[in-house]
Amino acid sequence: MTGTITIDFEGTPVEARAGESLAAALTAHGVNVFRTTRCAAERGLFCGMGVCQDCLVEVDGKPNQRACMTKVDRPLTVRREAHARPLMPAGQGRPPVTIGDVEVRTPELLVIGAGPGGLSAAIAARKAGAEVLVVDERSQAGGQYFKQLSVGPEGISAPDAQHREGAALIETAVGLGIEITSGVTVWGAFEPNEYAATAEGRTLRLLPKAAIIATGAYERGWPVPGWTLPGVMTTGAAQTLWRTARRLPGETVLVAGNGPLNLQLAAELIEGGARVVAVVEAAERPSVTKVGALASMALASPALIRDGLRYHAVRRSGGAAMIYGSIVAGVEKTARGLSVRLLPASGSGEEIRFEVDALCLGYGFEPSNELLRALGCGHDFDPVRRQLVTRRDADGLTDVAGVYALGDCTGLGGARAALAEGVLVGLAAARALGHTTSAGLDAEARRARSHLARHRRFQQALWTLYAALAYSAALATPETLICRCEEVTFGQIEEALGEEMQLIGAVKRRTRVGMGRCQGRYCAPVLDALLAERFGRARDEFTGFAPRVPVKPVAIEDLARLG
Amino acid sequence: MTGAAHPLVGDIDVAVIGGGIVGSCLAGFLAEDGVGVALIDNGRIGGSNANAGSLHVQMQSRFMRLYPQNVPGMERQLPLYPKAVAFWQAMQARLGADFDLKMTGGLMVAESRDQLDFLEIKARRERELGLDVDILDRTALDRIAPYFGPAVVGAEICANEGKLNPLLANAAIRRWVIEKGVVLIEGESAGPVRREQQRFIVETGNGWIKAGRVVLAAASGSKALAAELGVAIPAEPEPLHMNITEAVAPLIGHLIQHADRMITLKQFGTGQIVIGGGWPAHLAGARRHPTVELASLVANATLAQHIVPRIASLRIIRTWAGINTSVDGKGVLGPIGRVPGLFAAIPGDAGYTLGPLSARLVADMMLGRQPNEDVSPFSPDRFEAA
Ligand SMILES: Cc1cc2nc3c(=O)[nH]c(=O)nc-3n(C[C@H](O)[C@H](O)[C@H](O)COP(=O)(O)OP(=O)(O)OC[C@H]3O[C@@H](n4cnc5c(N)ncnc54)[C@H](O)[C@@H]3O)c2cc1C
Ligand SMILES: Cc1cc2nc3c(=O)[nH]c(=O)nc-3n(C[C@H](O)[C@H](O)[C@H](O)COP(=O)(O)OP(=O)(O)OC[C@H]3O[C@@H](n4cnc5c(N)ncnc54)[C@H](O)[C@@H]3O)c2cc1C
Ligand code: FES
Repeated sequence: MTGTITIDFEGTPVEARAGESLAAALTAHGVNVFRTTRCAAERGLFCGMGVCQDCLVEVDGKPNQRACMTKVDRPLTVRREAHARPLMPAGQGRPPVTIGDVEVRTPELLVIGAGPGGLSAAIAARKAGAEVLVVDERSQAGGQYFKQLSVGPEGISAPDAQHREGAALIETAVGLGIEITSGVTVWGAFEPNEYAATAEGRTLRLLPKAAIIATGAYERGWPVPGWTLPGVMTTGAAQTLWRTARRLPGETVLVAGNGPLNLQLAAELIEGGARVVAVVEAAERPSVTKVGALASMALASPALIRDGLRYHAVRRSGGAAMIYGSIVAGVEKTARGLSVRLLPASGSGEEIRFEVDALCLGYGFEPSNELLRALGCGHDFDPVRRQLVTRRDADGLTDVAGVYALGDCTGLGGARAALAEGVLVGLAAARALGHTTSAGLDAEARRARSHLARHRRFQQALWTLYAALAYSAALATPETLICRCEEVTFGQIEEALGEEMQLIGAVKRRTRVGMGRCQGRYCAPVLDALLAERFGRARDEFTGFAPRVPVKPVAIEDLARLG
Repeated sequence: MTGAAHPLVGDIDVAVIGGGIVGSCLAGFLAEDGVGVALIDNGRIGGSNANAGSLHVQMQSRFMRLYPQNVPGMERQLPLYPKAVAFWQAMQARLGADFDLKMTGGLMVAESRDQLDFLEIKARRERELGLDVDILDRTALDRIAPYFGPAVVGAEICANEGKLNPLLANAAIRRWVIEKGVVLIEGESAGPVRREQQRFIVETGNGWIKAGRVVLAAASGSKALAAELGVAIPAEPEPLHMNITEAVAPLIGHLIQHADRMITLKQFGTGQIVIGGGWPAHLAGARRHPTVELASLVANATLAQHIVPRIASLRIIRTWAGINTSVDGKGVLGPIGRVPGLFAAIPGDAGYTLGPLSARLVADMMLGRQPNEDVSPFSPDRFEAA
């Protein structure tokens, strides 16, 4: 979209770029408090991808809208959300609806998630003759890695190679006759291959013959004192501001976490004009002992190594320090912004402080496997990466018939790997649906398999290089929130454990941990790890919270609105 | 006996199987009187963990429609309901805890003249059985509950009804049970139960427990446990669906039901609106986990906004399913004649409401006291002949 749109925020006009998210527009105007909680705490943009539910605002009288997922495509009237506002009288109410009234779509193959994995799978399946519907919650296809610019082109820096590669992929998909529907949130998965989604305020029931789930990942929480303050956001949130709307999270920024994305973000923000004071990495500075890992990475993906070197050069030229072996230990609000406290990764030692407008945290990912788990697909816990990995065969078929999974949501990361895997999974799904693959496609599959192996080696070496200590609850004080939504503290968890509770469900019912809008996405892994350590047991797919429908909140009126 | 003794308890006066509201209260009552009790629960989503915290008193139209043959049983049980609600209030006071218990009264709404006529007849019968009920036309209804949509023409109000937050109540009861010295064995399935030399052997996954007496408070799980001892208790699992929204300012004070459709609707102290009413769920997968169905979610939630249009803009943040238990409309409470030392403690419909009082009645029988109510209609031996 082009041009500007004036929105009304709490009675003040705010100039937004047409097409950007409401969160991007507000952030650009220095607004970082979007709502207040039950305890009157301030919250703002955190995940930037529709998961955390902390950016809720009231839009045109509609309560609890996610600013990060709301596109500015018309003049909006926006108010900060407050906890439990009174409901306005509504009209008549709609007649009750039964399942038979709900609009049904029956694509041959449904792909959930239009990231590199989903798009690549859709393209392969389509080439083999399958009829494919791709749905994605975001307003534009591309997923995390291929996020597209949603504004411009005037007055903003042009799309880069990563944008262009994504645009080409989307174009290929559309050119092949694949239907890509954006703005569709799949919030329920029921057996067998029955999905419920909301699209433009209406409910859809999707009944495909087979489904490929490629829902990606979201960033882990880092529950230290102050991690819920406005201005503290994930690396992905800041990257989304920049890559989709060319907006910066603040003038002065600290980027901290574990892994290469933080460095990439720092470079992007510096090029965008931000002052990045430092990049803080939990892993130690690569030493000679890690030469082997570096060498395998260079062999597996020279281009990615080149990118890494370039990001470092930009970082240095921007004057951002690189601090290895350190972590964020706490954040405080000051008159001018945030004061961030760093400690050595071991958790003790000399403290360093930075004063910034925004702190970006990127401490690794949790797979978005909610739909898979709701369907009963099996998962195994990977103690090295500390996440669940979907049980699949070599073609991406899960242990539930007709349900395939690939990409970051399966617990195996990387955009390149997802692209390669997509080819294999897409073709396998098409074959299972009775389509035959040509010799050309079979050759493509063979190439994809070798790419995939190469990128898996790269990822493996990458995480050897970036090996770091896991989050430790020792970083939290009794007042630190473990559950952002229900404002449950570590102290309250300890109190419950003092009452002989061992099962996560019992702790949940006792403290309300994980009962909020985000469905426990941030607190569950932390609590599960804490209980596993305390009671000396292993984590598995059943030690966390049971997956629950809806995986994203769904408005009652959206269920009642037909056709 | 196979294997070893349970690490937490080898030999005990009473083993209570099932740690829902009934088993927990019963264990607490017995322990208060100095009885040694082990409380064993397999940690599945039983009714008490899943229930909506409605304190029901008036006959639920859902059960009358679904199980017309049970209406006489329901009527036998009816006088117990207001007493059960009063017992909940006493329980809250006694534990010095806050259950978020509110005696707001319950409204059963009607959408047509026919439905209102049905409520009139029902109210007349309930009044005879001692309930405080009345019929309200729309004008009278608007005075006390000004939030209904145009479809509602009137309602039956039952002053004895209310609600509580089961999360708060269950947590407080659990603390009390621990304080009274009950041995909690959680996350373990009990069974089979055998009788050996005047004592019972209760097998668990983690070893056996010897007990002088055994109480089956395992809701529908009691059927299989009883069958192993040659006793018939026709307690059937009934997986049910619930929904909860994000929080809003206080709006709905009453517990709301419908004369002709399945719904319960109320607001917790947290501001969240809880929507349920008995829509079906099913047991899925190898673990037989209670699992929600899209059809129930759609129908249940859209019916709610039809009755109270204002809640339409709210988002449902979670649904869940739990296992309710249905027998014959009446509780199954007391000694089992065929097996000395074996007791049943299964409440009737709206078993959470009836839970603590049912537990009290069984505890009294086990402690050799005269229960405060006539318990003969609830004898487990009524299934013997059949
Ligand atoms: C926050 C973040 C930032 C990243 N930044 C970089 C980077 O800068 N460089 C880099 O090399 N790699 C980056 N990665 C990693 C890389 O993006 C991933 O490895 C890659 O995108 C994985 O592709 P995918 O197709 O599996 O998932 P994704 O690209 O994450 O795509 C998943 C898609 O599914 C959609 N979706 C999820 N749930 C639902 C639902 N319920 N209903 C409808 N749609 C749904 C999402 O909207 C999303 O578009 C990042 C990852 C994340 C999570
Ligand atoms: C979704 C839902 C909503 C409800 N809402 C209400 C309401 O609002 N108001 C109301 O009054 N009633 C309500 N009910 C009904 C009420 O919850 C039940 O009747 C009541 O909780 C029964 O209590 P209980 O202690 O007998 O059984 P339960 O709470 O079911 O407890 C029995 C326990 O025994 C365990 N168990 C079973 N077999 C074994 C075994 N072999 N070994 C070890 N443990 C075992 C089970 O896992 C369970 O934890 C609802 C029920 C459901 C499912
Ligand atoms: S920032 Fe919008 S949902 Fe997390």
